[in-house]
Amino acid sequence: MAKKLAVQPSLHKVIMVGSGGVGKSALTLQFMYDEFVEDYEPTKADSYRKKILLDGEDVQIDILDTAGQEDYAAIRDNYFRSGEGFLCIFSITEDESFQATQEFREQILRVKNDENIPFLLVGNKCDLEDKRKVSLQEANDRAKQWGVPYVETSAKTREHVDKVFYDLMREIRARKMDENKTNNGRGKDKSKKKKHCCLFMCC
Amino acid sequence: MAPPPIVTGLSPNEGAPGTRIKIRGENFGSQPGDLIGLTICGMDCLLTAEWKSPNKIIAISGPIKGKGDVIVTTKYGGTGTCNVTFRGYHLATIGPMKESAVWVEETPMYSWGRHSLSPSSFQQEDPLGLSVEETENKISEEELQNYFPGKCGDIGSQNFSPAWFLLENHQATSFNDIKAGLVYLTRKVHSQKEGQLSFLKANLNSIMDQIDTLMNLRERYEKDLSVFGSTPTIKLERAIKESEREARKLFDDVLSRKDRAEKTRNALNVLQRYKFLFCLPCVIEKNIKKGEYDIVINDYMRVKNLFDKTEVPIFREALNEVEKRIVELQNKLHTDLQTMPITVDQQKRLIRYLVNLDCPFDAAWDAIKSRWEYINKKFKEIYNFHKNTDKLESSKKQNSASKYSKLQIEVISVPACINFTDEICAVTSELFPDLWKIGQAYFSGELQVKIEAGRQVEYKHMVLTAIDSYSKYIRASIIPNTLDKSDRTQYGSLSSLERDEISLYLPELLRSVRSTYSTLIQLDLPNEALDIVSALLVDLRIHCMSILFQQTTEQIKHLSENWKISFSGKYTGVTELPLKFLRLIEDVIQIVKESALSAEQRETTLLDNVSAQKELEKQIDNILSAFYMVLNNLSSTEDFEDCDDNSPVVSQLIGTPVGSQKPDVIHDIPTWEHRLLITLSNCIFTKNTILNDIATKFRETGFSSVDTPIGVNRNKLEMLEKSILDRYLEQKSDPLVGTIEPSMYLGRFDWDINVPPTDIRPYAKECINNLINVHSEINNISTNLLDTILVKIVETIAEELYRLMSCVQKFSKEGAQQAKVDIEALQEMFKDYMSDNAHGHFKEALTHIPVLDGAQMTLVQDILKQCRARMRTQIICLRKH
Repeated sequence: MAKKLAVQPSLHKVIMVGSGGVGKSALTLQFMYDEFVEDYEPTKADSYRKKILLDGEDVQIDILDTAGQEDYAAIRDNYFRSGEGFLCIFSITEDESFQATQEFREQILRVKNDENIPFLLVGNKCDLEDKRKVSLQEANDRAKQWGVPYVETSAKTREHVDKVFYDLMREIRARKMDENKTNNGRGKDKSKKKKHCCLFMCC
Repeated sequence: MAPPPIVTGLSPNEGAPGTRIKIRGENFGSQPGDLIGLTICGMDCLLTAEWKSPNKIIAISGPIKGKGDVIVTTKYGGTGTCNVTFRGYHLATIGPMKESAVWVEETPMYSWGRHSLSPSSFQQEDPLGLSVEETENKISEEELQNYFPGKCGDIGSQNFSPAWFLLENHQATSFNDIKAGLVYLTRKVHSQKEGQLSFLKANLNSIMDQIDTLMNLRERYEKDLSVFGSTPTIKLERAIKESEREARKLFDDVLSRKDRAEKTRNALNVLQRYKFLFCLPCVIEKNIKKGEYDIVINDYMRVKNLFDKTEVPIFREALNEVEKRIVELQNKLHTDLQTMPITVDQQKRLIRYLVNLDCPFDAAWDAIKSRWEYINKKFKEIYNFHKNTDKLESSKKQNSASKYSKLQIEVISVPACINFTDEICAVTSELFPDLWKIGQAYFSGELQVKIEAGRQVEYKHMVLTAIDSYSKYIRASIIPNTLDKSDRTQYGSLSSLERDEISLYLPELLRSVRSTYSTLIQLDLPNEALDIVSALLVDLRIHCMSILFQQTTEQIKHLSENWKISFSGKYTGVTELPLKFLRLIEDVIQIVKESALSAEQRETTLLDNVSAQKELEKQIDNILSAFYMVLNNLSSTEDFEDCDDNSPVVSQLIGTPVGSQKPDVIHDIPTWEHRLLITLSNCIFTKNTILNDIATKFRETGFSSVDTPIGVNRNKLEMLEKSILDRYLEQKSDPLVGTIEPSMYLGRFDWDINVPPTDIRPYAKECINNLINVHSEINNISTNLLDTILVKIVETIAEELYRLMSCVQKFSKEGAQQAKVDIEALQEMFKDYMSDNAHGHFKEALTHIPVLDGAQMTLVQDILKQCRARMRTQIICLRKH
């Protein structure tokens, strides 16, 4: 056991964001434990972590399932800081939740200060097609505008649930590889640049 | 052995003691009894744990603090592992108002300050232990304020007023309830006091320890006091100061060096920090060289924003350096802007640069002005160039004229004024739109510059003068007569051209002016400007039209007759001449229509113009008159042709055309009579057909006012026709009639003879033969003329016979028979060409012959019958078919 720990698989930190009741926890539980929770219980902040096989490579996924309720808006900054990738979830049956994604996106970009942070726009509850309020077009447009993929999921039917997590992890992994490269190649340069920028912002 | 349990999920992942936690994971055993251990952050929580499923346990957190694992232990899997952490904190149990035996970190609590204000987490329990009622008619804050000034209902406040509190919270509570509440409150207060006591009891040990420690401390202190005196600290202070001084001495050097290093580092930092600024002059120069002005502007703006208000001298210096480069750049761009030729887009870009660089000059306006000046300069240049070539050419021409006075070599070179016009049109089409576009951009605000007042007027003036000078240059070179004297001197003129020469180029020229015009129209210019060009166009078109017509008139004047009669078609006896004439007119109409007449975009029909109409009428009249003159000349030019045709009169008896007897006569030119006949025929043909054709042609083309000139010329032609006819008749019938009398009395013939008639007399035969002769001659040319001419001749013959008969003094019986036979025979022969007049003359002639009896009449009829048989050929000749 201890030996195994020595070769710690890489860890990808995923954060679930979105308004209350859109199904963040449901998606997470479906992904983690293949179970669908019918009764609604507002989340504060839940942590999940498990080992999975991503494209033949052992990795660990760490999922932080956050509170959607506005009461917790102030503490989101703290969560977001630790995230490496974000699943921004809304419910296709509720336009308000779709509109709220804009706010989440902005907050994440502000906290991470990175336009290209791995990010997926997820429209959940796609099994409730007859109650759809957010058109595919609208969502696609917004995703295109942000330059992120858009996927529709159903935590109930498990449609595309694995896909969103795996896609996000692939993005995180690709990004980390990129960063490693630049760090190895011109790591010094980059840090300098960053400093430079910061200095100017101070001015 | 089952696999060890593993915790993979916590919901929630943090919380105060007492939080209900859902623990998820794997291998939590197959039944509740399998769970034999659960620790959260090291604290055993098995007691509260509730096994739900092999991967879910619900537990309640204990009094834990900080982060830690959640470890599950099962009967078969042993102690498990944990992937996630739980963070516990104290919040609900220990507040600022509560006593606690342990140290409580208060900072996180304050960070939750906002949170604690929310009623859910910081709801004050009612001090009376009563449920807080939900009354609708609550007394408002202000009212309470009125009742209890300076008090409040907050239990924590110094100004707490119990009455306020009761009114605010328990307005509707019954007195008994309040009493019960009071009892509750008293008990609570009591218990709190007891609580203090019990708290002391519970922590007796530590309190005793604390007291012991304090006692020890005091003892030690008192001992020290007695040993070192009452103020032990002074000595100590001195010693410390001393040691500090010593230490300083030791480290002064190091410290000063450290300071210096610090300073250097700071300076380096500053340099690093403002590297951008110090490098900027260099960078700007480089970028200017590369032509990347956008980057320069961007950098400049940035540096301006950052350092414009700086007081630091070194920054100022650097900034000045930058400023200097920028001013240089501005000047360079400004010169570029005004260097022609340049496209509008380039200019716009330069203007944008200049505007972005806050340049002091009005770049956009300068651009417009320079464009305008460029157009003017270009006009002048072109003009001068062509003026020179024109001079050269004309001098050359003169030379060549003197050298090859006989052999004029036609130099195929386009005359200067045409070249000039062409070029000026091209230049205008090319340059003017740019002026207009940049002007539009300027006034529409696209260039983002402030538009100064009065610029609009000035710009309009520019546009108008540019167009005006364009039109005037063209006028000066092509139609100088439409210019004032002052303009003519100002714009100068090139040597004007011969009509034939210019007519070659005019349509072409018109086309180029038009193309310029259409370019201008596309620009949406104001009407005022367009009208200048359209006026020029109208003048040019009129000029073109009149030149073309003049040229045609000239061509018509030189039309020559080839005397070849064409027998094809309806109109026999007509030569090519009228058709040529028609063709010329058709051609010119076609050209005029194509070039001048047809109205193009935003042009009026030329004929709406009164002067144009007059001009047209005049030209048509000229053309028609010219043709009239041609015909007239043809009919009257006997003089020079008479030399080889000196005996036009038909030989009296033989009646053969003289021309055929003279083989040396040029074959092409027929006898004068023939020519007369041909011309006559042409004349009639022209009058009847060609004129109509021309009229319809003109009308088809849109010339409506051709009736007057055509009518006038029709009359002229009619007159001409008559005169030709008269001349011909004179030529033909006079000798014919003149021969009758001498040949009647040939051989001393007397009507009073005794020889009975056997045949008609020779004079009658000759008369018939002569007429046949004339008939054949006319028939050769045109059968249409037969009627008019022969009828006239027959009339004169009849008249002559009547005269001769009336002069006879005496008829013998035989003579009367003879006369009767002759006249009857002639009458019969000529009956197809007999007019009423002729008929009357014959009748009257017959009345002069004595009346014959039956036997005599039979003889006459017999002779006539014989005659008819004998003269069958002649009869056939004079019959209409």
